[in-house]
Amino acid sequence: MVDFVIYSTTTIALWSVLGLSLNLQFGLTGLVNFGQVLPFAIGAYGAGFAAVHGLPWWSGAIGGIVLAPLIGLLVILPAGRLAQDYWALITLGAGEIFRLTMVNVPAIADGIEGASVHRLGDRTLAMLLALGLLAVAWLILHRIAEGPLGRLLRVIREDETLAATLGRNPLRFQMLVTVVAWALAGAAGVLYAHVTGYVSPASFMVIETFVIWTAVVLGGPGSNLGVVAGTVLVQLTSVSTRFVAQWTHLPSDLVANLRLATFGLVLVLVFLYRPQGLLPERKKAYDVDRR
Amino acid sequence: MLTAADIAVAFGGFQALRGVAIEAAPGTIVGIVGPNGSGKSTLVNVISGIQLPDRGEVRLNGRPVPLGRPDIVAAHGIGRTFQVPRLARRLTVLQNMLVGARAQVGERLFPLFLNPGRVAGREREIEAAALAILRRLGLVAKANDYASGLSGGQQKLLSMGMLLMSDPGVLLLDEPAAGVNPVLIEQQVAFLSALRVEGRIILLIEHNMEMVANLCDRVYVLDAGEVIAEGTPAAIRSDETVMRSYLGQPA
Repeated sequence: MVDFVIYSTTTIALWSVLGLSLNLQFGLTGLVNFGQVLPFAIGAYGAGFAAVHGLPWWSGAIGGIVLAPLIGLLVILPAGRLAQDYWALITLGAGEIFRLTMVNVPAIADGIEGASVHRLGDRTLAMLLALGLLAVAWLILHRIAEGPLGRLLRVIREDETLAATLGRNPLRFQMLVTVVAWALAGAAGVLYAHVTGYVSPASFMVIETFVIWTAVVLGGPGSNLGVVAGTVLVQLTSVSTRFVAQWTHLPSDLVANLRLATFGLVLVLVFLYRPQGLLPERKKAYDVDRR
Repeated sequence: MLTAADIAVAFGGFQALRGVAIEAAPGTIVGIVGPNGSGKSTLVNVISGIQLPDRGEVRLNGRPVPLGRPDIVAAHGIGRTFQVPRLARRLTVLQNMLVGARAQVGERLFPLFLNPGRVAGREREIEAAALAILRRLGLVAKANDYASGLSGGQQKLLSMGMLLMSDPGVLLLDEPAAGVNPVLIEQQVAFLSALRVEGRIILLIEHNMEMVANLCDRVYVLDAGEVIAEGTPAAIRSDETVMRSYLGQPA
């Protein structure tokens, strides 16, 4: 039982970082990133590449965390001048291109077989590291969301042309957001690789992106607290499917698929009945009368 | 002095502007009138960088203003409002105002984290400035309301307020009085007169001929993408070409 709590907490913490990263992009800035799994995968493959090629673990960590935002910029630059629907398609495609490259180029990290990475033996330490990363991500993103930068990002989300006529270059800020968000998701990927001890293309399917999206939409886009709450709900549902399989005596792959169907249903219901999410973005009120 | 010379814009086969030239001096309000579809808004879109013209140039005090780059145009101190107000509707009135201010140290990543004192100081400055403008506009009681909750007229006032937060040298105003109640229009007239006294350049697109006559020092009349008349409001009102194309009957 303790093992399960540690495992769940580690998973929730890592996926919360991914959710917060997506929230900076979508919730605050309006960037529809359907390839959120990509920076996560790049981080993990940083660790995988280092392990396969006999490099020290920290070089893989740095490589993953630096490469994720760089590849993010490569993706955003051609997409930057396009409408948001193209942005969604380009990021979706970029994530798949990366995954298929990992499948087909075994020289990088053992292809479809997947690569073994040094696994953190102490599971409590792994959990504490994941919680530590979540704390760092929270502090950074809270400061951004609540300050002048977050205010401007929200204006870009609402109306890019307005932001431009107010003297700001929307693309510049979209690039800044991409760098910060992809670096954090990359860090989560590095840690994920060392937590599981294994990196394989099967871990970075498109569906992972939509699990992250479900958490953000359910919790409340634009609200960091909501996104963490959404992640807790989604990941608890996810990790408890093994118990559901035991209790109901249903085949576990059926239960796993039902889990995804449940997420789809949750998305539809939230869009219909509570589009602002469970813990919506709060209004920032100023004390006007005292001045 | 703001000058636009030989501005031409075509949308497919439709020639929206055919070599339009205007100029506006500091401390004056220049009116741009004309029937719907005559190219008034397109002209303002070109000057503010939203519409890239096929040819022509814009200069401010003799220096060329880049075309097709609204963010850089705004940094030159040329600000605008829109016929249908553009606001961040899910932000409050005060937050919209605050974004109007330029030179915000807290929008840069490193000062945001490394110099919180400076960021907080700048925030206090622009909050005070925003509240002062909201008081002048009669919107201070709405400061903490979402912008989406304002009436059409109030949204126009808020757009004007956001523009003033950037302390622009040039104001391009696209129909500030349309849909605004008469009391607020009077307020706007007083407001614009005050801005003229401060030596700003104001370009006013307006259908309300009374407002144009009361405020403008000079008026350009556009029709089918061309300037068909220019002069003082009184001269324009008695110009026969103008009356035929726009006013419809003798004033």
